[in-house]
Amino acid sequence: MSEWIGHAHFWTFIFLLLFGLYVMITHKNLIKKLIGMYLVQTSIILFFLSLGAKKGATVPILFLSEAPVRPDSYANPLPHVLMLTAIVVGVSTLGVSLGLVILIYRRYKTLEEDEILRKE
Amino acid sequence: MHTALPALIFLFPFLSAILMPIVGRVNRRLCQPVTVLALGGMGMVSLLALIHLLQRGPIRYPFGGWAPPLGIEWVLDGLSSILTLLLSFIGMVVAVYAGPTVHKKLPTKVTPFYTLVLFLMSGLTGMVLAGDFFNLFVFLEVASLSGYALVAVGEDRALLAAFRYLILGTIGASFYLLGVGYLYAATGTLNMADLSQYLSQVPYSKTVLLGLAFIAVGLSIKMALFPLHGWLPDAYAYAPDAVSTLMAPLVTKVPLYALIRIAFWVLGVEALRDRFPLMVFLGWMGASATIAGTILAFMQPDFKRMLAYFSVSEIGLIMVGISVVNPTALTGAILHIINHAFMMACLFSVAGAAIHRHGIGKVFELSQLRGKMPWTLTAFTIAFLSMIGIPPTGGFFSKWHIILGAIEARHYLFASVIVGSSLLTALYFFRVIQKTFFDGNAKLDPPPLSWWRMEAPPAMLFGMGIFALGILLLGIFNAPIISILMAVALPRNL
Repeated sequence: MSEWIGHAHFWTFIFLLLFGLYVMITHKNLIKKLIGMYLVQTSIILFFLSLGAKKGATVPILFLSEAPVRPDSYANPLPHVLMLTAIVVGVSTLGVSLGLVILIYRRYKTLEEDEILRKE
Repeated sequence: MHTALPALIFLFPFLSAILMPIVGRVNRRLCQPVTVLALGGMGMVSLLALIHLLQRGPIRYPFGGWAPPLGIEWVLDGLSSILTLLLSFIGMVVAVYAGPTVHKKLPTKVTPFYTLVLFLMSGLTGMVLAGDFFNLFVFLEVASLSGYALVAVGEDRALLAAFRYLILGTIGASFYLLGVGYLYAATGTLNMADLSQYLSQVPYSKTVLLGLAFIAVGLSIKMALFPLHGWLPDAYAYAPDAVSTLMAPLVTKVPLYALIRIAFWVLGVEALRDRFPLMVFLGWMGASATIAGTILAFMQPDFKRMLAYFSVSEIGLIMVGISVVNPTALTGAILHIINHAFMMACLFSVAGAAIHRHGIGKVFELSQLRGKMPWTLTAFTIAFLSMIGIPPTGGFFSKWHIILGAIEARHYLFASVIVGSSLLTALYFFRVIQKTFFDGNAKLDPPPLSWWRMEAPPAMLFGMGIFALGILLLGIFNAPIISILMAVALPRNL
């Protein structure tokens, strides 16, 4: 039981990923599809960040000292750096997609996918 | 100096993409020549790099001087230099070709168009050169984002097609990223060479297998492997003609290249043969894609849409070549990546020219072009002969090698699937030829006084001429090309 609770971040990640995919598949509204897409991206960011976390570790800033460095006492900074980049990628994807949605709304005056298909 | 060649190749399209808005502000007419020059320069440097590495071996460029497992490195070896050469050449010729159609269809958007084209090219170049899993993801997204924007510029349902492409493309990229996360969790490294060493020493854990599966699915969405091809037909059919001419040859090939890189260089040949059934699965996907793509293509009345489905079919064919895991088939697959780029570029440029001059976009209306666009129809015929695989066109030799490789590996079913789809293509194409050239009942407009006024504009003719010539040259000089490929582009111990 404690193992299950200990992996809470992992269960959250799985839930967010599947929920995001579910929202994308089931909803007809384009904005809701985008929300689902963003949930999927966010869940992966959460997954990466949880890889870098350690119990009792602190921020990975190394002060100059004579003492040997103990990697256990610092959080792994690499996933954070990767996810900074992934967040930038996600934001630009969201920017392009919202631009597309604005153009679609201007042309079809609706954001419901079935109505758009009917107007073709 | 020569260690910086990989970065130099990338800087040509990337810097000119950044400078393009300034160029467009000075004079909009300069945008096209600058694009052509930038891609030409990239091609020259790629050629230099290829010659250099034939003599002295692969070039590795660590960014910022940080040594590889910690820093990000770019690798320019035989395969990646051939790919950058292909990218720059096709990109350059399409940039020449695009002039008239961009001028006609997108007169107000010339500057953004060429900016996005250059960003797309730099994203694809980055993917080809990346020696690091996360770096590959970033450039995958750079290329895809420019692709979404370029598709959205088109007419009719282009916006919706671009939106679907974006949704599916983002899911593909997210799956790829998730797979990279699993690999990182299992091994603690992102560098391809480093990861390869690690994976060759330990048994594959569930984490590694799951990561590889996610990566394979993510890349399969990006390369439109059947049945994950849903975004491709709409995107190519509704994109502006110049854009589909640029994207069809290149955008699906580069994820395919990434898969080859990961499978043969990171996992290694032994792992593919003995430890991990990924290739068997991908081979079956490829075989079904070959057949399904061909059959779906026949049902499309729209010319560009038909070509898009043929593209799906050819991706499957290349995938079969990869999945067999032997030198003959892999050479065939790499050669077919090159051939397919030329064929698709040629066919889409024919489609673009027919629409540009006469507004003809249906397959069986091509007979209207008889006597009006003789050179265009010649290019169309050459490209289609290559699609079927009739010598001396390039398509024959790559298909031949893939079939030979499949037979060597005793995958007789794969071999027969390829032959079957070629026969189907031939049947269909001869019907198109018959309708186009020999159908006496076709209602033709009164014969034109001078065909050169009805023929495509010179820039477009030049583009499709180069592609058609390329198809023939790739076929005629297949022996030296294959020996170069065999020498530099194959992984060790295959």
